[in-house]
Amino acid sequence: MVSLYEAAVLALLAGGVFFGIVAAVGLLRMPDLYTRAHAASKADTLGSGLSLAAAAVVFGSGLPTVKTVLLLVFLFITNPTAAHAISRAAADQGIEPWTTEDGGDDG
Amino acid sequence: MALIRTFHEHHDNSDCCQLSSGRARPVGGPAARDCGGPTVTGERLLVPVSESSTLRNTVAYAVRNAVEGENRYDAVHFVSPASRRIAGEEYVESARELLDRVEVWAGEDLGEDDPDLTVETALIGVDAYLFSPGDYVELLAGYAEDNGIGSVLLDPEFNPGQNTPLLPPLEAELDGAGFSVETAPVERGTRRERLVRRASLGQFVLLAGLSYGFYLLIGGSLAAFDLVTGAISAGIVATVLWRISLTGPVRPGRLLARIARMLVYTPYLLYEIVVANLAIAYVVLHPSLPIDPEVVEFDAAVWSELPVTTLANSITLTPGTLTVDVTRQHFVVHTLTEGARDDLLDGGLERAVRFVFYGRAAARGPGPRERGDDGGEDS
Repeated sequence: MVSLYEAAVLALLAGGVFFGIVAAVGLLRMPDLYTRAHAASKADTLGSGLSLAAAAVVFGSGLPTVKTVLLLVFLFITNPTAAHAISRAAADQGIEPWTTEDGGDDG
Repeated sequence: MALIRTFHEHHDNSDCCQLSSGRARPVGGPAARDCGGPTVTGERLLVPVSESSTLRNTVAYAVRNAVEGENRYDAVHFVSPASRRIAGEEYVESARELLDRVEVWAGEDLGEDDPDLTVETALIGVDAYLFSPGDYVELLAGYAEDNGIGSVLLDPEFNPGQNTPLLPPLEAELDGAGFSVETAPVERGTRRERLVRRASLGQFVLLAGLSYGFYLLIGGSLAAFDLVTGAISAGIVATVLWRISLTGPVRPGRLLARIARMLVYTPYLLYEIVVANLAIAYVVLHPSLPIDPEVVEFDAAVWSELPVTTLANSITLTPGTLTVDVTRQHFVVHTLTEGARDDLLDGGLERAVRFVFYGRAAARGPGPRERGDDGGEDS
């Protein structure tokens, strides 16, 4: 039997895994660095966010939950910073973004 | 159009005017003509180049200035001083590659509408000894002499030896040698900004308090041992970083108001992230991958560092938009889909950030599109 509590944890985890997979799929399917940075950094925020939320629910109220929230805060600060650093470095190197004119579907 | 020439031994000027005299002349001086050099038809600009963070912008400035500046130039000469004897063959090779890059950049900046400007690149001083600023001045002056050049544009980060700062003495010596010298007014990298600033006691107390609170929170105990070690750690952190971490004076009232509004902002941001994440998941998993990436630029109506950083990070956090570069409040954002682009230019996030930092009234201002900024790349 699955209690409501366990169901919530499972749902959050499933959501986290789903967005993690979306990030991986996006990384493989996207055509260039910038679009890949979108896929890798974005779906990840929700993927890791939901997973951490699941962990917070498991811990219940208390200090570990506060720490989980702090983890999330730091993820939300560092994740876009890293994505920005990568894409800015690419732009500084003169890498031109892919556009729809650059070609059809590369599957 | 562009021509690559490689020069050696530019120290030898015996067939031309004396280096030490007669160079105090106006821009594009006729000295080269006087002594039988190539005929000078117009004004020419000399730009010494070396690997630097501001080189790309310097090239852009040189070309733009030559084409439409106050003093128009017929030709821009990019020269790279590289001494094989001092810096080695590898450095000469990298200087050669650098010149290739500069040439491509200049071509890009010229576009196709101005064929009147000649761009030349040259590797100079390969077999010379280049030690002091004086050596460089002599070398550059020799090259300028041979090519009838009277004006020099310096990259603010020009440093061919990659050791000691060369620019101030070089600037002075070139000026003293009679050239009209200008340093390109380009933005320097952030690493040159002053890291340590004036700070008040309020900042120290705030930083120490934050560190102490964080220490106790992570430690999870209020035992005497933790209280003491936490106080020591917070003291060390605040002592070392109080003039770096926080900018501007601390105003407790405003700070609390901002924190409160930040708490309102966070759920909004989370909601935006979730909605946009679902949209991106749809795009990524869609069999035909319906993306339409485009880079948009706009000026955000936020000022100072922290709000700009918050907005930039929020833009990046919101899927479908990725902040590529920010200069003051000019944003360069890579957008993945049409929808993400529309949301960005409607300015929802920007209004929210204004709300956090400047209060409710500021949030009602127009978004980028209503300000007439359509995100075009031509700005």
